[in-house]
Amino acid sequence: MTLGPFANEPVLELRRAPVRAQLAGALEAFDARPVLQVPVWVGEDARTGDALVSIDPGEPERVVAEAAVASEADVERALALAQGSAWRRTTASERAEVLVRAAAWLRERRLELAALEVREAAKPWREADADVCEAIDFLEYYAREAIALQDRPPELIQPPGERNELRWQPRGVVAVISPWNFPIAIPLGMTAAALATGNAVALKPAEQSPGCAYLLVRALREAGVPADALALLPGEGDVGAALVGDPRVHTIAFTGSGPVGLEILRRAAEPAPGQRHVKRVVAEMGGKNCVIVDSDADLDDVVPALIKSAFNYAGQKCSAAARVLAHEAIHDALVERLAGAVEVLHVGQASDPEIDVPPVIEREAQERVARYAERAAVEGTIAARAAQVPERGFFATPTLATGLPDDSPVLHEEIFGPVLAVERVRSVEEACDRVDASAYALTGGLFSRNPQTVDYVADRTPVGNLYVNREITGAMVGRQPFGGNRLSGTGTKAGGPGYLLQFVEPTVITENTVRHGLVV
Amino acid sequence: MAELERELFEVGRRLAAAMPTTRNPLKALDDKAMDLASSDAELKAALFRFVDVVPACRNLDDLARHLTAFLEEVEEPPPSIGVALRMGNTRAGRRALGMAAATGVKHMAHRFIVGETPKSALGVLRELWKDGVASSVDLLGEATVTQAEAQRYADRCADALDTIAAAARSWPPREQLERDSAGPLPRANLSVKVSALTPLLRPDAPERGKRDAADRLRPLLRRAHERGAHLHIDMESMDSRDAVLELILELLAEDEFRAGPSAGLVLQGYLRDSPETLDTILAWIDRVERAQPLTIRLVKGAYWDHELVQAAQHGWTAPVFERKADTDANFERLTKRLLDARPRVRVAIASHNLRSVSHAIAYNRITGGRDEDLELQVLRGLGDPLQAAIASLGLRVRTYCPVGDLVAGMAYLVRRLLENTSNESFLHEQARGVPLEELLAPPEATV
Repeated sequence: MTLGPFANEPVLELRRAPVRAQLAGALEAFDARPVLQVPVWVGEDARTGDALVSIDPGEPERVVAEAAVASEADVERALALAQGSAWRRTTASERAEVLVRAAAWLRERRLELAALEVREAAKPWREADADVCEAIDFLEYYAREAIALQDRPPELIQPPGERNELRWQPRGVVAVISPWNFPIAIPLGMTAAALATGNAVALKPAEQSPGCAYLLVRALREAGVPADALALLPGEGDVGAALVGDPRVHTIAFTGSGPVGLEILRRAAEPAPGQRHVKRVVAEMGGKNCVIVDSDADLDDVVPALIKSAFNYAGQKCSAAARVLAHEAIHDALVERLAGAVEVLHVGQASDPEIDVPPVIEREAQERVARYAERAAVEGTIAARAAQVPERGFFATPTLATGLPDDSPVLHEEIFGPVLAVERVRSVEEACDRVDASAYALTGGLFSRNPQTVDYVADRTPVGNLYVNREITGAMVGRQPFGGNRLSGTGTKAGGPGYLLQFVEPTVITENTVRHGLVV
Repeated sequence: MAELERELFEVGRRLAAAMPTTRNPLKALDDKAMDLASSDAELKAALFRFVDVVPACRNLDDLARHLTAFLEEVEEPPPSIGVALRMGNTRAGRRALGMAAATGVKHMAHRFIVGETPKSALGVLRELWKDGVASSVDLLGEATVTQAEAQRYADRCADALDTIAAAARSWPPREQLERDSAGPLPRANLSVKVSALTPLLRPDAPERGKRDAADRLRPLLRRAHERGAHLHIDMESMDSRDAVLELILELLAEDEFRAGPSAGLVLQGYLRDSPETLDTILAWIDRVERAQPLTIRLVKGAYWDHELVQAAQHGWTAPVFERKADTDANFERLTKRLLDARPRVRVAIASHNLRSVSHAIAYNRITGGRDEDLELQVLRGLGDPLQAAIASLGLRVRTYCPVGDLVAGMAYLVRRLLENTSNESFLHEQARGVPLEELLAPPEATV
């Protein structure tokens, strides 16, 4: 099949009232339906259950989805089917066609899917819509990349009498272990990349968002992914661990926390009995992302960008801003303006279009944020807190901290919540030193209007994605291939050229074309 | 149609003839820099980025470092730039360069900004008035991101109303500026920005911002009424267009404000849906009885590049016409509708385009309107010759006068510079010596 050039799916133009008006209707329709039943879905068998329940973090008594939990036998059967699937023998173009159909499936249900994210992951509308768009983007982008990979293999030297050819082969079975914070886009992105290249997939989604995972698996299955090539295995950590340790799994695509990622890397390095290959791990882990603000920055731009980077979706993005490294010449002015901007943040239900900050995902997260905020108050100064925070639901208070000691855990540990710390630096060089001292290197930001400073920081920064004079979240497929370095990840770039190479193995075929001195 | 074009040409010819030809030599210097910038896109970018960063530079050395860093990105620099770059190599050179550059930017800023405070602007406002030119003061400020900043802006607006209204009482009588057939026109006139009145205005969630801005706009309306001043609500980008329009229409319909003050809003002709916006406004006027007619200032719109870039980045249809001729044609259609809607509205046509201005005057005359029932508006610094020409013909002209310090004024200044050096800009064409017939020809619209 021939596909036109890739273009990002346009997000809803929510600044227009008629577009906004659709949202309330979509939520009403979603709420009117019975609780979503998420099956363990292996081959043609779909077994529902309620061992796992997902709730609305803003109203914890509201059940969004009930899911069955995958057993050892389910994992066993899913991997056996995956191993025997004929999906690997399809052409790239056939697979691309399926992915593009899945994209169309999602496009038709955009508002319904966004409503599900609003409820299950407490994603505010704008962000829920962006997540669905990103999911569509991954399908469309990887479909095109897979065709390119097959049609345009790397060129090799061809001397007379010798034909050299490089073919990419699917690696085998891919285990996808995904997080809840981009509940459709991230699992779908990893799954789509694996499927696009001819691998079969066993998906273990985050226990907080099984409903979203179910819908993306439906999109792919209904678009034509064979039942044996894609299994949905809801559950907790043990399901993921079973997949990681199984000898039949070739590749593990993981996005989540650092400790879990490192544990997966360790486990995957140990061959299981009967294993005949080296497992590959694609891991996207945490971040502790810094934004450098130089003395020549335009604070009119800096303040809104920092607020957005640190507090949108309550800071629950691996790309979120956690530290601001502010030049001493503008530090005080910046803190004053930031503080005022934090105080007016409106914390409330994700379903309310007027809010700035939704609840965090669960009680444990709420307590963790509170612990770090207390620590910040003891070790430094709380420059501002959001004025009003609802009491019911898992709400965390947006907090701005300053004056923390260099070794404070608030500055070095990933909080994954709405806490932003500002540090005073004497120069951009000093700011770069601090960034360089971090074990994380996912995203980073720089505000400067001097092109030489921009060059300097771009050269020195270890981060995977550096954003200059803008917010540091919201990477888009094909525009900001996304992924971190150091302990933030294995250096791969989701939504970028080359990502699919993680899911294939090269075979080089060299044929002697000389027969009795004749080149045939 | 032919009659309109004939009258239009006659008006345009007389306006062109009335434009002062003698120019302040310092202004000519600026024009030279602007010409240079217009001719080379890279140099233009470098100079704009420099102008933008000037207020944030810590000292002359820092200033010079920024300037040379921008200029180094120009691939084929003109000889004068080479000199600047060599100066940037030494500390003393940087000081001299920084000083020269700072003076240049400050000078340019003074061309567009009439004073740092309303008080310091009074001299210019009075001079304009004496020359037969009314004014609307716009208080420049940083973006509003906190409640304190919103309150500060509201306080500045209140102070401006007091200061200007008090001073205006001693201005000499200028009949064509103070009265039209609907009645007296306030001397003091302030333009305010809703986005500066609240830190809560969100494009996709306007309600909270509207409520917050209303709490600060009501006292300003009250104050303007008490002081007998006119309050004009500016329009900004598409992100806040609907919120601003709804807010002003809601407030002006409140019982208290039906009696006054004299108030107005802005219609942006570059927006594709501006005809529907005008429908909304006219329907409101039919519904809401007010003591003084609503003033509608028709502009082309100052956020054209922003709107196009934002739409392209999001994959949206651009809300603005992409071709200038389409905007110009729409502007003329809206002009006619507005003039036809009198006396329910007061009409202010804000443009530096000789054709657009002449069109409004000519259409008004051939349809039997009186000159006093049409106001023309220009921007301080950009429309000075046109302003003088309009005033000399005895028509009412009002100059939009920004007031504020350099830091606050930069965004405004850069926008004005962009407008001024755009190759499609009317002023640019005029400066290039495009013949009058061409300048006054009807826009070749595609929609």
